[in-house]
Amino acid sequence: MSAGLVQVFFVAAGLVAVGIFAAAWRRDLTAALAGIPLMFGGAAVALVGIARFSAAGGPHLFGQGFAVLLAISALALVALGIGISGREGSR
Amino acid sequence: MDSLHAIGFYVSSGVLLAGALGVALLPGRGQRGAALGVAGLGLAGVFLFLSAGFAAGIALLCYAGAAFLVAAPQYRSVENVASATWRQLGAIGAAGLLALLAYSAFRGDFASATFYGGAFGVAALGRLMFAHDALAVEAVALLGLVALGGATAAWRARERGR
Repeated sequence: MSAGLVQVFFVAAGLVAVGIFAAAWRRDLTAALAGIPLMFGGAAVALVGIARFSAAGGPHLFGQGFAVLLAISALALVALGIGISGREGSR
Repeated sequence: MDSLHAIGFYVSSGVLLAGALGVALLPGRGQRGAALGVAGLGLAGVFLFLSAGFAAGIALLCYAGAAFLVAAPQYRSVENVASATWRQLGAIGAAGLLALLAYSAFRGDFASATFYGGAFGVAALGRLMFAHDALAVEAVALLGLVALGGATAAWRARERGR
């Protein structure tokens, strides 16, 4: 049994699609916000896969570094969205 | 990639996609938060089996934080103004994108290279992030600062308006 870049891309595609589905399908915008980490996660999986299987020359860990930044950005965007939506009963 | 790593990759991918589907489909906030935590665990596993141990640790922390935020009971629900038709079109678009990406991955011809990094690679990643890509790291740090500052300011403005 083995896994390669194609399998990694399948997982990444599934994650991005599920994230977009969650963001589009949810009636509650704060629930739709949870799709952002999934989409960013899909992109990060693809980048880490490229760094693992296809990066040659230059900074070959660029994909991993970008994946770290994407994870932090996803958390920041969720925090911002939740903060903007406000607390229950504050209006 | 040897068999053990491949099995770990496929199991982690299954956990990741199951958690992601839970985030998309489960009804309660607590359930969605737990599903996002499971997705984070699966994502960390995928990174780990792709020899990105440091990214796995960071992803685990960030997704646990996001899961905690999504599961919190205090925040207010904001109703989506888009009609059901647009939401259904968005869902169909997501399915179309999945088909397109899967087709591209299946038909694509990719370069292959030998991976020389270790399982964790913290030193090389640190050199990359704080020397080669320092500007991008600064930009993300600024985004985090603005996000937390903006969230705090928005929350305080609403509290003052009560």
